[in-house]
Amino acid sequence: MENITVIQALIIAFWVAGIMGRFLLGGATLTMRFSPMMSGLVCGLVFGRVEEAMLITAAIQLIFMGVFAPGGQMPSEPCVATSIAVPVALLGNLTPEAAIGVAVPVGLLGSYLYQLRFFLNTIVMQKMADKYAAQGNERMLSFSIIGMPIIISCLIFVPFMFIALYYGAPIIAEVVSSASGTIVFHILEVIGGGLAAIGIAVTVYVIGKKNYIVFFLLAYFMAIILKSLNVTMITYAIIGTIIAIIYVMAKSETLSKVQDAGFSANADEDDDDY
Amino acid sequence: MSVIDKNINLQPETVTKKDVGFAWLRFYFANEIPHCFDKYIAPALLWALMPILKKLYKNKQDLIEAYQRHMLFFNTQLSWGGGTITGIVASLESARAKEVYEKKPITIDDDLIYNSKAGLMGALAGIGDSIDSGTVQYIFIAIALPWAQQGSPLGSLIPFICFATYQLVIGYYFAQLGFRLGRSAASEVVGDKMQMVIEVLSILGLFMMGILAGNYVKVSSSLEFNLSGKEFVVQSILDGIMPGILPLVTVGCIYGFFAKKGLNVTKALFGLTVILGVLAAIGIL
Repeated sequence: MENITVIQALIIAFWVAGIMGRFLLGGATLTMRFSPMMSGLVCGLVFGRVEEAMLITAAIQLIFMGVFAPGGQMPSEPCVATSIAVPVALLGNLTPEAAIGVAVPVGLLGSYLYQLRFFLNTIVMQKMADKYAAQGNERMLSFSIIGMPIIISCLIFVPFMFIALYYGAPIIAEVVSSASGTIVFHILEVIGGGLAAIGIAVTVYVIGKKNYIVFFLLAYFMAIILKSLNVTMITYAIIGTIIAIIYVMAKSETLSKVQDAGFSANADEDDDDY
Repeated sequence: MSVIDKNINLQPETVTKKDVGFAWLRFYFANEIPHCFDKYIAPALLWALMPILKKLYKNKQDLIEAYQRHMLFFNTQLSWGGGTITGIVASLESARAKEVYEKKPITIDDDLIYNSKAGLMGALAGIGDSIDSGTVQYIFIAIALPWAQQGSPLGSLIPFICFATYQLVIGYYFAQLGFRLGRSAASEVVGDKMQMVIEVLSILGLFMMGILAGNYVKVSSSLEFNLSGKEFVVQSILDGIMPGILPLVTVGCIYGFFAKKGLNVTKALFGLTVILGVLAAIGIL
């Protein structure tokens, strides 16, 4: 079995701290935290095995579809999950499905670490930021709003990720790969294939337009029927956009026709001028 | 302290479009760095506005009051909420600073500024979360996913670059809109034209989820049995009735669960893991 070096573990640990501390390019960390894609790529680069890493990451992405934080709370942390599951899978030469079995529990653990960061930030904002705001001390106010939280997230995530990767990953990899070929693997594979349904259902629910679910069904059966044609996602996206525009145009035209026909006589917002 | 001295030193500088753009960039960077329990992301908005506040309040006591004003609880979404509110607060603070300087009665008081922020943050975050994080992000990811499955790094880079740039650009637009129109900007953000854009995006999002579900949700039966010498393979019978029925039923059940019990992802994750695990162990799937 391959091993992970100190440098490799450290690079990934700092990467995770940068994302979870939200300071690596600031607001751009949003999608890097919610989606495993970038973390998977970084792990692949660190191990020099980008192609395999991408295959594993794509499988992990499917179960984390629809994960985002309405109001700031997340049930799972895809970035943390991926940064451990992809190295484990690369070390143990695991299938993408087996990597999912590692990613799910780690992701849940990751959300506790984010809570810890939340808690420590609260102390800093109360003890430091409030004090320096009251003094009008601009430099220290900036430091307590930006500098301290960055230091805190490095102190939380770097040691945790380093230990998990350097000492934990080889052990997990060995345990999981020793189970290959058994019924456990079949179960992992089935779960991995099915869990993608969760992310998709979450996204459909969050978009929240019940009447428009027909568009989901239309696309679902198109995808099933056209599977053998290997239609690219961009083609599908273009078709989807056209269908959406046709629908919205037709709807607004009907609406304006109905209004022209005099049904808008009842005072609505547009008639406030009269 | 002479009148002239006061005019030179205490007059608020004009806040320009550039200042607002810079404040938006600062908010985009700070966003959730100072995320905490009692203030949430209020310190990030304060940090974003600090250069503008310094231009406006030349009297140190006024500046301190402005800092403290923005330390109260504030939470919203990055681009729709954050962008618009950064612009609106910049315009409100400019108007207030003018009133303070001219020693007029303050009409734009602390309550009005706070209520403007608090009144908008929830509504805009609701739209922003479902459109940006929930829809646009996953449209980009859905498009790029096949590249990742072929082992190409573009599968990671394209959605990241597109989504980060998208939020940066629309947030800038909303910030300028908020600054130009003040508090009435909010009705523009949720106005008719925007509703049409939101509808197109929602339909496209649902459409792409359908495509993903059809291609990537893999639930199939491995059950086979013998009935009086005849072999039955359950999956091929199901395919004969309607291809792809099991994945669709799976997605439908989870959606039904959310519709009934609310969005509890962790419960659904555990539930589905257990159900699939058991069905796989006894050989049905």
